[in-house]
Amino acid sequence: MTYTLIAHTELGSAQAAITFSSIPATFTDLELRLSLRSTLAAVPNYFFLKINGSNTTFSFRGLFGTGSTTGSFTSPSNYGGESTGANSTADTFGSTAIYFANYRLSQSKSFSLDSVGENNGTNANQVIGAGLWATNTAINSIELESAGSNFTQFSSATLYGITSGSSGGVVVS
Amino acid sequence: MSYIALATTTLGSAASSVTFSSIPATYRDLIVVIDAKSGAGVATIGLRFNSDTGNNYSYVDMSGTGSSTSSSANTQDRATMGFVPGTSAYMSTAQIMDYAQTDKHKTVLARHSNASGNVQALANRWANTNAITTVNLSTAVNNFPIGTTISLYGVA
Repeated sequence: MTYTLIAHTELGSAQAAITFSSIPATFTDLELRLSLRSTLAAVPNYFFLKINGSNTTFSFRGLFGTGSTTGSFTSPSNYGGESTGANSTADTFGSTAIYFANYRLSQSKSFSLDSVGENNGTNANQVIGAGLWATNTAINSIELESAGSNFTQFSSATLYGITSGSSGGVVVS
Repeated sequence: MSYIALATTTLGSAASSVTFSSIPATYRDLIVVIDAKSGAGVATIGLRFNSDTGNNYSYVDMSGTGSSTSSSANTQDRATMGFVPGTSAYMSTAQIMDYAQTDKHKTVLARHSNASGNVQALANRWANTNAITTVNLSTAVNNFPIGTTISLYGVA
């Protein structure tokens, strides 16, 4: 199957991080789909990425809109996406999709990020991002770490594997 | 959701063009994924359908460099998956919506991710109601570097 569920979790209680470990080296690309809320006393919040336990050798370019302003940023370099905070509208979670290309090859890993918080249309950030993990080893674990807080109960994270290949008679030239 | 790998290639040498042909009308959308290594140089990643080289493509984009933002629009002879500002590695994806339908122009939603250069979101339209059977990717200046992988998926 081309698009395969690897693992899914939904938090039964608050915790500081969510980790996918022992990621098999059997796919071509990975995709994370996240629904995250944090305990930080704020409306918007965000989270960090760690790959193979490391938060170094990242670089990042982000483009954001808030509903009234736009901007671009590069820090934190291991930015992972938006979550909602404790002061945001109840029962709302940030949504993020992160796509890692060629995650198991011995080369730097590019990734693409789309993320949004939510707060009834006010004080919510939407971000698109370009990331690079400049380490030449296969990705075998991905950790999401809530910034200055915990992820709340009912936050969820799902990891998929995508396998490239050939079918249907399509010709490449 | 049914997500099927249709074709993939890894460049054994630098190339200016890759073409997927004989695409069946079996799916709803197509997805293209490009993972390019460093050394590309400045380039515009173009998409053409069914060998159409006319000025039948339009786009609008928004871009961030980490310190500034911009937006642009144009009508030209190809759709765009992104503007590569330098020699660093990047990935680009494109979703070609309703590619086999004959009742509408074709919309392409693209994302370009270059962590050392820029991040972009692009929306394109091919002003043609024909079903897409061929997808050509090209770089107007500089080549896709050796080691670049380009994959095509069908989504039902």
